[in-house]
Amino acid sequence: MTCANSGNCGRRRFCKTAITGMTAASAAMVTYPVAAFLGLPERLESNKPLEVPLDLLQEGQARYLEFRGLQLILLSWSDTVNVFNASCPHLGCNVVWESAEGTFRCPCHGAVFGPDGTVVSGPVSAPLQPVPFEIQDGKAIIG
Amino acid sequence: MQIIRRVYDWFDDRYQITPIIEKNVTKKQVPRTLGWAACLGGLSFLVFLVQVFTGVLLLMYYKPQPDQAWDSVTFLTSNVPMGWLVQRIHTVGANLMIVLVFMHMARIAYYKIFRRPRELHWVSGVVLLMLTLTLAFTGYLLPWTQLSYWGAKVGTEIPSAIPIVGNDIVEWIRRGRAISGETLGFFFSLHIWILPGTAVLFMLMHFMMIRRTGISRPL
Repeated sequence: MTCANSGNCGRRRFCKTAITGMTAASAAMVTYPVAAFLGLPERLESNKPLEVPLDLLQEGQARYLEFRGLQLILLSWSDTVNVFNASCPHLGCNVVWESAEGTFRCPCHGAVFGPDGTVVSGPVSAPLQPVPFEIQDGKAIIG
Repeated sequence: MQIIRRVYDWFDDRYQITPIIEKNVTKKQVPRTLGWAACLGGLSFLVFLVQVFTGVLLLMYYKPQPDQAWDSVTFLTSNVPMGWLVQRIHTVGANLMIVLVFMHMARIAYYKIFRRPRELHWVSGVVLLMLTLTLAFTGYLLPWTQLSYWGAKVGTEIPSAIPIVGNDIVEWIRRGRAISGETLGFFFSLHIWILPGTAVLFMLMHFMMIRRTGISRPL
């Protein structure tokens, strides 16, 4: 019983092409992400260091930065620059720089830190975690 | 397409795969009255395979220590190409597998397919359900998020209601008095190979028994 007998060769060809096409598309949709996932880590954007131009920051001001999935806070204070992990060591809320007081404050439970990250008061047992960086050509280079 | 034909013929010449493919796939015989609900078991198995595959990919980046677990997951999600996709498929797949398994159970129960001679299919199926739920529970702790920690804490606290041995059971599960890195390591090894290995064994039994007794006709 061929398709010529039952008169639906066109339909058979269409179905074969369509199904083959969809299978190929599905295979590609699975293979591409897996191949990208398994790729070399050197190509990852995140391995590049973060450069922050310092001229935009005034004395006594702080800025939030995003770096490798972390939130950092960069502070310009008494002619030095400090970079900390903005996560409060208590339970992880982002600390806020109060320029009028000259301290970091955590809005969640009221922890207070000095401009060098040391604990002033509050329910916290560790200082703000400093992040290593270098200063080159008026820019802070992190990582 | 000729190349595919020739590769197929190469295997068929040696292993006579055409009768096997015809009997199980292209010319498989099923009752006329069978509906889409009969696919639910196979779908559950398919999602299980997807979970194993995505799980292996996640395992390339996950670190099972409390101070590194969440960072490794965040790194994977935000910095590895398609990492977010692999993690999302694994999370959705876990939920999807449980839904499919319950729907499959519901069909079996509704049509009373668990009756003689298929009693052990049902028993092995219940074991598989328990394994699936435990896989979901142990897997949830691994990203070490707030929800993970508190969910595991509440969940592992439940056996403490059992008189006399309750607290010992809780300590055994947690590998200590509280949820700690020891618990994480224990849940990790359960989730990675102990539970999946046991599940595969029970699946093999489940499938072999089904093949042996044949498909049951709906009422």
